[in-house]
Amino acid sequence: MDPIGGNEVRSMNGAKDVEFGVEAYQFGEELHSLMSGPPVTGNSFTALLDLPANQAMELLHSQAVDDSPSELRLKGHCVSHQSPYNHTLNWAPAFPSNTALIERSSKYSIFAAADATVDRVGGGGGGQGSPDSSSMPSNSRANVMKVKSEPADSGSNPNSLPHASGPTINEKQMNRKESGKKGKGSSKRGKTTANDNSEEVEKLPYVHVRARRGQATDSHSLAERARREKINVRLKLLQELVPGCNKISGMALVLDEIINHVQFLQRQVEFLSMRLAAVNSPMEFNVDSLFSAGNGSVTDSIFPSVMPLTWPEVQMNSDRQQWQFDYDKSANSALFHSSQRKMEL
Amino acid sequence: MRPPISLEKEFLKKWVMGLQKWSSTSKEMSFLERKKAIKLSADVAMASARNGSTLWSRALIAGASKDPDTNAIVKHVVTGSTAFASLPPPIRLGRRRVCSNKALRKARINHFRRPSRKSAASSIVKRLVKKRTQVIKGLVPGGERIDDESCLIKETLDYVISLRAQVHVMQQIANAAELLNTNNN
Repeated sequence: MDPIGGNEVRSMNGAKDVEFGVEAYQFGEELHSLMSGPPVTGNSFTALLDLPANQAMELLHSQAVDDSPSELRLKGHCVSHQSPYNHTLNWAPAFPSNTALIERSSKYSIFAAADATVDRVGGGGGGQGSPDSSSMPSNSRANVMKVKSEPADSGSNPNSLPHASGPTINEKQMNRKESGKKGKGSSKRGKTTANDNSEEVEKLPYVHVRARRGQATDSHSLAERARREKINVRLKLLQELVPGCNKISGMALVLDEIINHVQFLQRQVEFLSMRLAAVNSPMEFNVDSLFSAGNGSVTDSIFPSVMPLTWPEVQMNSDRQQWQFDYDKSANSALFHSSQRKMEL
Repeated sequence: MRPPISLEKEFLKKWVMGLQKWSSTSKEMSFLERKKAIKLSADVAMASARNGSTLWSRALIAGASKDPDTNAIVKHVVTGSTAFASLPPPIRLGRRRVCSNKALRKARINHFRRPSRKSAASSIVKRLVKKRTQVIKGLVPGGERIDDESCLIKETLDYVISLRAQVHVMQQIANAAELLNTNNN
């Protein structure tokens, strides 16, 4: 196992970024197809939070309570990582002896995993996040998902752990998140975990912080580190989202790009609203049919009749090709068969 | 990444609601008014599609509610979602003052601090980042009141996703409308 030393491991390669982006924005079934597409990304997040096993051991024995979550995460990552880390399983049996650890681990529904296919499950679990939650919880869920691979492999970690009270350090973050987004998406995450404690499903995952070698492990610095990690993770998600940000390194430039992108989007909204205002002919919306549309394509239900308008010529414009709409071709076509759909302004 | 379809549908519905309200109230509208109406309905629709789960959406709606003209639209569009009734009103100005005091104090302190060789670069970077953060706060609705960096980033994320969905839907409708227009004429 490679010694990491005191450095933070932040070596995210492109694949990892892809995984982040994919996992983070799991809004609905369309993205499941996306999920199956990307390359194996199991290494990604686990590698991100990699630590040699001996460090984990140190932590485990030195600090029973505070570092246990990070411990678990480490284990999870080690295990979910491919071959090099399988031998870390040998210290798995140590875990159950630490009851505090167990209790804490039960907190994260990660340990309910039975799925050995870590990567996909992790991705899939993250993927089934709530549609309207921000990407952050999904991403943390991704972290957590990776961890859960460990018990699946090690087997020694009990799957049916009693639900525990929140750990000290991450409690703040947890509460913050929870108050904001209780029950959001975690329910979906529960789907992938074979063993669901229903309470756990409600709780949101959060970013775990591990004390690296040579770093202070008092609560303040740990909290600080946790906070920084959270920020970094979220920033990475933003990077994923904003096109062209992946190659940029450095916080300031990334923020610059983000600012530009937001301004661009806002300007686009203005421009589009102007375009729409310029439309002369009045259009009325057939509102009832619009609202009666279920989960299927809204436009499909509105436009049963097909008009011979050629929609390909009005395919989505070329603002940013990276945005890859395949929004529902029928929606496109239906929009143009808009005998029933008119907007009155 | 692609905007989620559910979000787009939601947005579309609410937008249509808002637009209908506009059309029912006044028949004659100048071009600019129409544009404003469209944009406003779109923004409010997008914000309400979030159902008050994010700061920016709440701030946006609160901002729109202040203006009596727009208030009607807001109410109309937002009546569907239940979350808003229970939402706390946006943060008072006092907090803003506190924030600015903190910033001032920090600026003053930094002025006196002599950066060591190691941290000279990092202090520059910090300043840059700070500036950028301020800009982002200005862009994201309600961002001014967010102190926590991670919270700000989260809000920005959500805002960007919503904006994208909004732009996407509006583009399609605009294209459809124009196509109709050219076909009919």
